[in-house]
Amino acid sequence: MSRVQSRRVLVYLLLLSFAGLALLPLWSGVVTALKSSKEVVLSTPLTPPMRPTFAPLIEALDYLKRPLVNSLVLVGAGTIVSCFFGSILGYLFSKYRFKGSNLLFLLVVICLYIPPQVQLIPMTRVMSNVGLYGKLGALVLLYMFFGIPMCTFVFKTLYEEIPTSYIRAAMVDGAGIWTTYRRVILPLSVIPFVIAALLQVTIIWNDYLWGLVLTRGMANMPVTVALANLKGSFVGAWNLQMAGSIWVALPTLIIFVFLGKYIIRGYAGI
Amino acid sequence: MKTIDREKAIVGLLVVPAVASMLFFFYGFSGWNLFLSFTDWQGFVPSNRLVGFDNYLTLFRDPLFWTSLKNNFLLIALFVPGVMLVGLLLAILLDQRVKGEGAFRTIYLLPFSLSFVVTATLWAWMYSPKMGTINVLLDKLGLDFLKSGWITDPNLVMYCITAALIWQFAGYSTVIFLAGLRSIPESQIKAAQVDGASVYTIYRRVVIPQLKAPFVTSFIIFMCFALKAFDFIWVLTRGGPGYSSHILGVTMYKETFGLEKFAYGATYATVILLVSLLIVVPFLYKVYAKEEK
Repeated sequence: MSRVQSRRVLVYLLLLSFAGLALLPLWSGVVTALKSSKEVVLSTPLTPPMRPTFAPLIEALDYLKRPLVNSLVLVGAGTIVSCFFGSILGYLFSKYRFKGSNLLFLLVVICLYIPPQVQLIPMTRVMSNVGLYGKLGALVLLYMFFGIPMCTFVFKTLYEEIPTSYIRAAMVDGAGIWTTYRRVILPLSVIPFVIAALLQVTIIWNDYLWGLVLTRGMANMPVTVALANLKGSFVGAWNLQMAGSIWVALPTLIIFVFLGKYIIRGYAGI
Repeated sequence: MKTIDREKAIVGLLVVPAVASMLFFFYGFSGWNLFLSFTDWQGFVPSNRLVGFDNYLTLFRDPLFWTSLKNNFLLIALFVPGVMLVGLLLAILLDQRVKGEGAFRTIYLLPFSLSFVVTATLWAWMYSPKMGTINVLLDKLGLDFLKSGWITDPNLVMYCITAALIWQFAGYSTVIFLAGLRSIPESQIKAAQVDGASVYTIYRRVVIPQLKAPFVTSFIIFMCFALKAFDFIWVLTRGGPGYSSHILGVTMYKETFGLEKFAYGATYATVILLVSLLIVVPFLYKVYAKEEK
């Protein structure tokens, strides 16, 4: 084998072993979720099930069904509102430079790096004061607004690609700032909305800390909190734990597999 | 003129609540949290009585704070360079015109799509001492002398956590470095090849020096993540065994919501915020505010 050829082989070997490493915990989770409790004890965590059973998946779904719906509500409300406001702010920041606009934008970007810990205690206090503490409504309200800086950032970055001449042309035709947004920017916004929405959906769906602190009871908690509780209450029931993980993992896995290129564009900008 | 004014009003009506809520939820809450760290609020009834720097003095004398800080630094020191190196390596491998690049990239990115609660549950199974994946695998490979208690061993638990987090973030790091590699003009690499430079030399002298931007970006992102990390560790170990995997975020949560020491918890949060801002603001200022002049 020539040197170039052996180098190619090495590259592929490395790529494949890293892919194996990336998939190993997922594989182990999937095969375990399909085993009966007895088979979990008798087989290794990596061998496929001899007698596949859907019982753990069904049991986990029954445990998680209400929180799954809660998370869907959070994702829906949070994504729509944040994207809407983010799109408008992104439009203003990218197309209307005013004195101090860079500084204001800097304030927006810093929001992305403010650790969530500083918001926990004030958040708890506000929610108790308005009577929402422990309720799903508290999270709905928070996710609607907390996604705005991230969405503003994504839209601003993507709107930079729209030529300013379009805006000027619309202005010359007598369109105001709002008509320009509706007639020029919005029709060009499909991809930006897809990117920002997918980012919001994954972030909200996967979030744990706020739900842990702010919600009480199955009727209110997001699915991540319910899964953590499942893990805590069924210690040793690995097939059930893995089955629960699969339900929580499924939506974001699907997004990353089929719409990964949009997600990457979103994350590459941050 | 009139319609123009009306349009400005519409936009204003939309912008004001968005900007106001942002200022309130991010900067207002941060300021409020800072204020709370100077009070003596403990237990269910909120207190606004100011006690000066008492909480900070208590913090600096608290052995648990120093343990958490030490563990947090260990996490940063291992995780940040670790995830950057793995990402760079994978990006370079993917940049060799490989077949199925998209499939590989998707696979590497899959762990990053998951909630920390999911990954912590998966890794609890991987690290389970009795019949978990890693110990069983070591057994099969005849390496049973390497078997260990993993996350139940206070001396190993932080390393186990770091390894799992590198697993989760490696794909993200790869994406950042791959974008950097792709932005280097091919002509430069061609020129080096014509000059007879080896692959190693090309990367050492031509490619790596031009990856400053992805290095800085990923450093900032992963550093900030490691400072505020909570979910994964909380679900996997609850900070245990003992205090061996307490990091700042975990201790903050326990002090605040476990022991109801709200003012003290706010003090922890303020420390996390200050360190994060110290790292991020100079970088962000350079990137976003510079052009103003």
